[in-house]
Amino acid sequence: MNPTTIHRVEVLRPLFAAATHEASAAMCRWTDGVISLTLDDICELPLEEVTAELGFSDDFMTMVVLGIESEPGTVLILTFDEENARQLAATLTRRQRNTTPEWDELEISALTETGNILGCAYVNALTRLTGQILIPSPPYFVRDYFASVLEQALVEQAMSSDTALLCRTGFHREGENLNWHVLFIPSKSLREKLERSVASVSHDRARR
Amino acid sequence: MTVTASSSSLGSKIINVGMGQTAVGDKEAVFTSVLGSCIGIVLWHPHLGMGAIAHVVLPDSHGQNGQPGKFADTAVPYLIRQLADIGCPRTGLVAKIAGGACMFRGGGPLQIGDDNIAATRTILRQHGIAITAEDVGGTSGRKITFECATGRLVVEVAGQTVRVL
Repeated sequence: MNPTTIHRVEVLRPLFAAATHEASAAMCRWTDGVISLTLDDICELPLEEVTAELGFSDDFMTMVVLGIESEPGTVLILTFDEENARQLAATLTRRQRNTTPEWDELEISALTETGNILGCAYVNALTRLTGQILIPSPPYFVRDYFASVLEQALVEQAMSSDTALLCRTGFHREGENLNWHVLFIPSKSLREKLERSVASVSHDRARR
Repeated sequence: MTVTASSSSLGSKIINVGMGQTAVGDKEAVFTSVLGSCIGIVLWHPHLGMGAIAHVVLPDSHGQNGQPGKFADTAVPYLIRQLADIGCPRTGLVAKIAGGACMFRGGGPLQIGDDNIAATRTILRQHGIAITAEDVGGTSGRKITFECATGRLVVEVAGQTVRVL
């Protein structure tokens, strides 16, 4: 990774940290204060290294995927392993953990709504902080190979670049790390807009 | 980036092929990749046990420079050249392809699976290479493993029986 890339990623860190903070507050309300989020990493990677770098390339995961309707190519993916996904669904639906292989409608609905709440809080924060109008798409519930879903999410970036920017957020429950993650992957166009917004805010602050 | 696997240097090491990457090898080589809308194109010489794979992301390079394995139109001629470099002639090559799913059941982010399938078939036909087996389309991801020694392309789809092409 070259120094220029690292610099550009760091420029966006305060913005994504603020969005993560707002998403964390929404998750606390949704889960009665049990779950919180922290920004783990913002990195730009060569496309061919993305899945390996994230560490669960051929793992089968439960995911909720949201796009941004006004910014094609921008994707937010909420990922869980099977155990954590089932446990969260059981907690939210106030039922015993489902042990059958198939997911029932209520479990899917609980996870999808979680993705919707988290994604909307995250995206609304970016809208408020940057002035860009970002409207999340309806959430999609997916159980599949993580790499298969991620590569679909990266197609738009692949059209114009050999690298992708990933913003990775971790989850915690009462101080313990959970095997849940949020990946926010902005399109090249949105990334440029976010960088301009951050630069503009910094410039305004410097003038005061 | 192309990974070259030979029996003398790597034994039967399994090579994971990421987005846009290619790999080439002799009969000791085993390639693996996880695919969504992308296409795994395997070229194989049945008599020599040599093979190559590309993890194709997009159908057409439109003249862009970059990783040749990223686009269907550049990946196929590149694989042919890579095989020639290890002594594998173009004559006798066959192709197996997998991937090109329409993830999220047609909604969500840009869907390119069908375009990838069509472009791959076209470019292979233009190069006179027959597709002897394929597992494409659908709405689920695939994990593929290709053995150069046998020509077996193993396709795993979650919740389904493993298919061997």
